[in-house]
Amino acid sequence: MPNEMTVEENVLYIEALSHALRDEMRHDPSVMLMGQDIAGHGGAFKITKGFLDEFGPQRVRNTPIAESGTIGIATGAAILGQRPVIEMQFADFISCGFNQLVNVAAKMYWRTECAVPLVIRMPGGGGMGAGAFHSQNVESWFLHSPGLKVVAPAFSDDAYRLLRSAIKDPNPVIYFEHKFLYRRERTDLKGTEIGDRVVGEANVRRSGQHLTSISWGWMTHRVLEAAEIMAAEGVEIEVIDLPVLSPLDLDPILQSIEKTEHVAITHEATRTCGFGAELAARISDEAIWNLDGPVTRITYPDSPSPFNKKLEADRIPSVDVICDGWRQALQS
Amino acid sequence: MMDQPANSSPSNTGAPPEVSPAAAWLDTGSDHALREMHAYMRLTREWDLRYEKMFKTGALSKWYSSVGNEAATVAAASAIEKGDALVSLHRDAGAILRHYVDIETLIPEIFPSNMNLIRQPLGGDSRERLFRLACQMLGRQHGYSAGHERSYHYNHMEPEHGLIHIGMISHLGSMIPVAAGAALSFQQQKSDRVAINFIGEGATSTGDFHEGLNIASVWKLPFILIIENNHWAFSTPTSQQYACDNLASRAIGYGMAGVEVDGNDPIAMHQVMQEAVQRARSGEGPTLVEAHVGRHRGHSEGDDSLDQVPGDELKGYLENDPMDLIETRMVNGGIVSRAWLEEIREKCAALIMEVVDEAMSMPEPEPNSDRSIHAE
Repeated sequence: MPNEMTVEENVLYIEALSHALRDEMRHDPSVMLMGQDIAGHGGAFKITKGFLDEFGPQRVRNTPIAESGTIGIATGAAILGQRPVIEMQFADFISCGFNQLVNVAAKMYWRTECAVPLVIRMPGGGGMGAGAFHSQNVESWFLHSPGLKVVAPAFSDDAYRLLRSAIKDPNPVIYFEHKFLYRRERTDLKGTEIGDRVVGEANVRRSGQHLTSISWGWMTHRVLEAAEIMAAEGVEIEVIDLPVLSPLDLDPILQSIEKTEHVAITHEATRTCGFGAELAARISDEAIWNLDGPVTRITYPDSPSPFNKKLEADRIPSVDVICDGWRQALQS
Repeated sequence: MMDQPANSSPSNTGAPPEVSPAAAWLDTGSDHALREMHAYMRLTREWDLRYEKMFKTGALSKWYSSVGNEAATVAAASAIEKGDALVSLHRDAGAILRHYVDIETLIPEIFPSNMNLIRQPLGGDSRERLFRLACQMLGRQHGYSAGHERSYHYNHMEPEHGLIHIGMISHLGSMIPVAAGAALSFQQQKSDRVAINFIGEGATSTGDFHEGLNIASVWKLPFILIIENNHWAFSTPTSQQYACDNLASRAIGYGMAGVEVDGNDPIAMHQVMQEAVQRARSGEGPTLVEAHVGRHRGHSEGDDSLDQVPGDELKGYLENDPMDLIETRMVNGGIVSRAWLEEIREKCAALIMEVVDEAMSMPEPEPNSDRSIHAE
């Protein structure tokens, strides 16, 4: 079937996800969707609204509330030729399917050389006062599990392109989509070529010579805002966005650090053993002699997400907190 | 709907249920059916005895024995065909050997020339499969996981022969949804193929048992879950595992068929499986089969978990060894002589000895082999 692509201006992040799913389902009849309330209702965020009518109940399946069973069944079907895409209603609920993911799906290829082309869409992240179980950023759980690929796009065009690549990829891909960006982020979809797998990507979104910033997801937008403020102070931040966390494309980061000699990692996930810790370790391994100061981490504290929006906002790295972090990094 | 359990007596006492009558099915083909079941059960028994011996001499670091499970597993795998999926556990050598090996090609004299096989031959190279299976058990390069995974923790696919086998991970119960997923792929492809999966009674306590069976029944997947209930999970008896009378009745809660059967009787087991497979092929959904077998060995060889089984109970299991039962049945029925059974035993033992010795002589995996975590 033709590999048609949506080309459209000013596309909301959430629409980019719908477009990617629809285009890939039209392209490949083995793609099927599974998730809670995704069929008639179109999912908690309406991303698959209308899919049941177009693709039918065999390919768009409501599941019982059974994350482990769903991931296990999808894994078995994937081994034998289907390409299931699971929607976690919220990324937080993946904990109920943890064993199927990290022990069955993730290790399957290494153990058996049977490919598991499976995508799990993970609506994650905070900023909406949704409390401790609808706000988490749990990418580290999966970065620590060999065999999984992890994607966390910040922009609509990356979201579209990478969701299609993830579905084509013969490996399990954990696809973090940020709820805060769903109806706020807009980018043109230009019909960029779609890769047939997810590969490491580190994209320089803004050039600068004073400090390298690394971020992904929602935080990249705050980082870009903060970089504007710093520019007014005469400090030029090089903003590297990681739409793909695993596999990691480290080279652009190392090249940037060689130029800036300073690096700060900003993430919305909690601090201890967050991906920033691993990035700091990798940078220390490869580039410690190029650094003119310690690797700075600007993160959520080691705390669950509070319900009250003000309490939550105090914990998520703000534009001001990011700027302060950078200023301190540059003073050291 | 709930099938009438083949035996409705309380089964949580540790006592094996009475032999269920399968006489109606035992028509003119019965001699052949018993001979076919017996050949694979004997091959499986010799397979296990060989590794048990190697474990005792230190040539093998770990072994989980299938002794006592042969009738249930061989009969179950006799009910599936090319293109069906087998998802196995660590006491299912009988199902694997039945599924991989056309025994008449390896021991041609084992069956009479006019033998009507229950199952059509798989084709391909049975000996190579048996040899690679031995290499897998011994962690050799030629094993199905090239030495990376232990014993029965591997997959083997031969699409050209319709062989689909998905092995286990150590987390018991986890393969239930995965096996149901194999069934889902058949349903998506609008094929009439089915997936069968074995678990022990201990794994019925896991969440994946519930989630997998519930989804399988809601979606009417062509899936059969066989509980090999040997009444002991490591050292835990059924009285500490579940409080219901039997596990087959759990099927009622999922709106699926459930059947309890004597797993020591391969003919009864096969009949139950045939009905379940037929149900699955015709789109009527999954079946839960509870097959009672005896606890003949500990959880793994060399642990002392069998000490927990009370003496009388253990004696009952050993007296109902499925190998003895089928051989007595064959001799008493005038099908074969004791001498002929001994000849079959020797031939099976010699074949196993030969492939295991050959596997032992094969190279260890390449040091520092960099096995990819990702499919390319």
